[in-house]
Amino acid sequence: MKKSLFFVLMIVALLLAACGAPAATEAPAAEAPAAEAPAAEAPAAEVPAGEPEACAAELGCAVIPAGSTIKLGYAGPMTGDYSQFGIDMSNAMKLAVADFGDVEGFKVELVAEDDLASAEGAAAVANKLVTDPTFVAMAGHAFSGATSAAMPIYEKAGVPMLSPSATNPDLTKAGSTVFNRSAFTDAQQADGAAAYLFNTLGVKKLAVMHDGTDYGQGLAKGVEAKYKELGGEVVGELVAVTPGESDYSAPLASVAAAAPEAIYFGGYNAEAAVLVNQMKVAGLEGVKFFSGDGIYGKDFIEKAGANAEGVYSATLVPSASDAITAFNTVYKTSYGEDAGVLSAYTWNSYDSASALIAAIKSVAVVSGDSLYIPRGALVAAVRGLKDFQGIAGVITCQADGECNASGPVFYVVKDGVWVPAE
Amino acid sequence: MSNLSLKNGRNAGIVFGIIILIMFSTGFTLIGNQLVAKLIGNEGFKGLDQFKVFVIFMVLMGLWNGSTAARKPAIAKDEMMPAIANGLVAGLVFGVFSLVISVFFGTMLIIKVDIRNYLVNISPESTKLFLFDQTPVLGGAYHFGIALITSFAGAFLAHFTRTNQSLRNFIANSKRSVSDFSGSPKVVSTVNNQYFKIASYLVLAALLIIIPRQWGSYWNYVFGTVGIYVLLGLGLNIITGWAGQLVIGYVAFFAVGAYSFSLLTSPAPHNLMWNFWIALAVGVVAAAVSGLLIGLPILNLRGDYLAIVTLGLAEIIRILLKSDMLTDFTGGPRGLQKVGGPTLLGNSITSDIDFMYLIIIAVLVVTFFAYRLQNSRTGKAWYAINLDETVARATGINAYSSKLLALTLSAAVAGLAGALFASRNQFTGPDDHALMVSINVICLVIVGGIGNIPGIFLGAFALKGLPEILREIENYRLLVFGVLLIVMMRIRPEGFLPSQRPKLEHPIDLAKSGKEE
Amino acid sequence: MKNTSDQNISKIKLSKFLRPLITFLISSFLLYRIYEVVFIRQQFTPDIWVRFAISGLILGGMYALIAIGYTLVYGIMFMINFAHGEVMMLGAFGGYFIFELFNFIPTPTVADPDLTFLNSQPILSIILAFVAGVTIAGLSGYFLEKIAYRPLRKAPRLILLITAIGASTALQNLAMLLFGPTRKNVINPMILERSAGWSVLVSGKPVLITYTGVFSLVLSALLMVALYLVVQKTKLGRSMRAVAQDKNTAALMGVDVDDVISKTFIISGMLAGAAGVMWDIHMGLVNHYTGFLPGIKAFTAAVMGGIGNIPGAMLGGILLGMLEAVGPAALGIDFQLKDVIAFTILILVLIVRPSGILGEKLSEEKL
Repeated sequence: MKKSLFFVLMIVALLLAACGAPAATEAPAAEAPAAEAPAAEAPAAEVPAGEPEACAAELGCAVIPAGSTIKLGYAGPMTGDYSQFGIDMSNAMKLAVADFGDVEGFKVELVAEDDLASAEGAAAVANKLVTDPTFVAMAGHAFSGATSAAMPIYEKAGVPMLSPSATNPDLTKAGSTVFNRSAFTDAQQADGAAAYLFNTLGVKKLAVMHDGTDYGQGLAKGVEAKYKELGGEVVGELVAVTPGESDYSAPLASVAAAAPEAIYFGGYNAEAAVLVNQMKVAGLEGVKFFSGDGIYGKDFIEKAGANAEGVYSATLVPSASDAITAFNTVYKTSYGEDAGVLSAYTWNSYDSASALIAAIKSVAVVSGDSLYIPRGALVAAVRGLKDFQGIAGVITCQADGECNASGPVFYVVKDGVWVPAE
Repeated sequence: MSNLSLKNGRNAGIVFGIIILIMFSTGFTLIGNQLVAKLIGNEGFKGLDQFKVFVIFMVLMGLWNGSTAARKPAIAKDEMMPAIANGLVAGLVFGVFSLVISVFFGTMLIIKVDIRNYLVNISPESTKLFLFDQTPVLGGAYHFGIALITSFAGAFLAHFTRTNQSLRNFIANSKRSVSDFSGSPKVVSTVNNQYFKIASYLVLAALLIIIPRQWGSYWNYVFGTVGIYVLLGLGLNIITGWAGQLVIGYVAFFAVGAYSFSLLTSPAPHNLMWNFWIALAVGVVAAAVSGLLIGLPILNLRGDYLAIVTLGLAEIIRILLKSDMLTDFTGGPRGLQKVGGPTLLGNSITSDIDFMYLIIIAVLVVTFFAYRLQNSRTGKAWYAINLDETVARATGINAYSSKLLALTLSAAVAGLAGALFASRNQFTGPDDHALMVSINVICLVIVGGIGNIPGIFLGAFALKGLPEILREIENYRLLVFGVLLIVMMRIRPEGFLPSQRPKLEHPIDLAKSGKEE
Repeated sequence: MKNTSDQNISKIKLSKFLRPLITFLISSFLLYRIYEVVFIRQQFTPDIWVRFAISGLILGGMYALIAIGYTLVYGIMFMINFAHGEVMMLGAFGGYFIFELFNFIPTPTVADPDLTFLNSQPILSIILAFVAGVTIAGLSGYFLEKIAYRPLRKAPRLILLITAIGASTALQNLAMLLFGPTRKNVINPMILERSAGWSVLVSGKPVLITYTGVFSLVLSALLMVALYLVVQKTKLGRSMRAVAQDKNTAALMGVDVDDVISKTFIISGMLAGAAGVMWDIHMGLVNHYTGFLPGIKAFTAAVMGGIGNIPGAMLGGILLGMLEAVGPAALGIDFQLKDVIAFTILILVLIVRPSGILGEKLSEEKL
């Protein structure tokens, strides 16, 4: 009996508390929005006198006390099958921070977290990062699924994002104020790939496969639609494989039944390598294999060996320039690996980080010993990036957060290395 | 001398040698050392660099090794000689292991063979740390020396504590005084005192109300996850802990709850946008019905059928959810976005704090019902089935319908947890419902103490809370839990907080019935 | 809670009537569907069906080898050795490292200065890889039993199963921490190059039958025959069967039960190890997760064929492999859903015939 009484009491009390909660946070905001609202969201509440005027805005300021660093976040897969992306991107960003990471005498620090490329991991990382009052901007996340899970958390905390690689078209359609990206979208990539297959390579019969992930399925559907629109014939239905397996001979045989001239595969390097390795056995010898930015990089060639020859990838490697050559030298000396070998996002990541730092510089104010970064203004500044000259190209953000103007470029494996395709 | 057995020493040395080899080659020496350095703080121990911390670590390992070698019951208590000899042998074997590791990997480092192609976690830093920043031979010699000396010391200490009468008395006394204190009439009467109970409940209630407001969104997130796993644990406990039927694919019901809730409240793909509470109820009912349906043809059989069938069901559901075929209906691999949040009287209450309260309420309600069920007639019937189904049937229990009820209730709780999980994340996708979730839930129920409700809270915190707090050791979490499961089943199969159920007077009968089924 | 005996009787009668009905309905629907896809739609030509069947057979052979391990252990200890897939993974790593090592040892000749031991002594390399894989897997089976399961000989089965889950998680994560999570390529000797094979004409079209596939299939068939002989003809096999029937009586007859259980684990581990090295050679990729899915599939196969029954495990394995490769095409659904087919069939088998296809007619009380 005692116990039931306890439970009933407890639940009533909690219900009261829960009802009270919104009132408690909303009331002061309604009465004195200018003065009180930051207390609810930002740690700026403890700021002593001498706070700049800009901090009176809605989201308040990030305050960097003397001796502290400005935290710039990155999150991507650092472990697992996709770890090459995370490692490569954070490496490039570290170089950007080393090059530009000084805002009015305050150092920028890159906090690279492992989100395991999963939604759950991303939410955990985002929730952890936003509790740090000196964390101001996010140069990620790397994968689209992770990004969409983390977006609402940054939105609430007023942390602008500039992802170099989250390519799902829907991300910018959600109406987020904080999310921006410097990569092309999957829709752009799929359109480009379909056009390249149809026009440049002259493929008339295409089979489309994917790995059953969000990314792969989106690309495959995009290519299928565009290719049909161009007048090509997509043979058979979309064939999906189960990721993580080592035997795709049966699905490949069903593709072979339709006798395509080329296969488009939406997915990542691990599955693509298995497919390429088993194409000959399945009776698909001499059929072209074409995929997206997910297979570009060293891993694919290592796994597929000689079978990788002649495989195409639509990717975002920038065209050669002096800035790129200089960067490549620094990258090589820092990490002992050529830039762009691990993933195609190296240069873009560098640009994302440096653009974010530039945006921070444009809004940061020194007052007393501390640096004040108005969060609301920073969000606006990132969205308002215009003609930012990076090494990979110019970053100009549209109203919806798309900051990349150039479409995909096409690479092919020749003698064991990725080279630009004519 | 001829009858002096050194087997204990050798075995302890080999075991510790293998442990240090695994620790080194999984990179744990480096991470563990960083963790220790972080714990004692870099500021206060300026002079203590990481190499010295590692020396301390190795000294502790050596002491433990020596005392293990000398403590084995095979060694007579009063004889000093065998204990010390075993300790020395243990130290010798352990030292040889460390020496070989140092020399081998140190040489690899010097001749610049990148061992990381095969053993990814052996970085140059960790090798350097293992060698105390010395040359391979010198580092190995240090290791050997440390191992020998500390194992000797450990054996001596172990022998000393075993034989020294006053020390043993002291230990026995202190143990007794602790148990005396908690068992003394005064303490017992205080604990059983009505007012004391009410007061402690009030304090707990106050804490539960105040704490979510005090800690930030991160802690609310972490403890929200713990709360959801508590729900899952409570649910699985009904069918597995009480009724004794193992369910490996428990995540299937979690997925049914999460998806039926999300499909009703998400703007895409169906844009139904139902009210939170109605959708929550639908999620719970859908999960319960799926449990009932899967139980109907299976539960009249005994044995591991339920485990196998739910395992298959979980995989089927996950694959179907992300398949091309159902993409238009379930959102496919992308999952469902913008899943609805709770509302109260028309107001949306979706802040972290509100959601924390919601989870706490859900946990309290389920805990309450779980306690009531445990002591009910049904609960006793489950317990009887768990102990011996044949006898239970003979005493007039309808085993089939009892098990069916247990599975249905269990699935319903999983559905509730799934719906809350989806609503809190505002997202649900096929990858949230991988088989790993089920295995985690089984682990937490077992670790805490199967069949025991407070144990589930402890298990959930240990399994989902601690790794989130100690993110550095995230990679080692599952290894540790795997080993922990094996060790626990051996030395403490009833879990950290064992169930308070009456024990069988002849445990051997339990074993026999388990084996023969 | 009263009067249960009457209810039970009515239920059993109902199920006696229902089960054949369900079986009939489902199988007639499946047959119709297959007829429709194969003969009316004619999406695939015979050569494609042969390809499907080949890849199913090869996969099925490996499943069968692993499934035998589950069945042996289950037959004797009534426990699901959840860590069996991980034993196979360890065997696969054993083979992988031997291949890597031999590819590292140069044996230059005048004709080919880059020649390595792997290609100058290919048959020896393959044999040694099998020896390594089988030994490692056999030893892990032995130690698994000795460390984890033996102390629980008298414990309830749930405890054993949880220990097995713990062992599976621990081994898998240990391998991940040691060797890293990325999948590694296995280098085969030239004579067993993966995409080479015999070309056979089927209805006028060439179908490639790979050397690795034939090699795995033949080897798994040989191993299964060998195992069958061991179980049926040797003294060890007789004691194994005796222990499986009744431990106490077997002990009274002078069989050392602990020893037999130990040897059973070694044999099942060795078979899994052989399957692991075959996996290396045929599939060519290995990581810590290699064993998990095949393990679960093989377990499914063992249950499908009738757990505890060795021919049942072989049949179940082959059947499951075929279902995965041919099933989606025959039923005209996505290849993504192959596991759905496999698990659905498993659930149906358990509902319709709980003892499995070849399993002995168990009473409701057993299993």
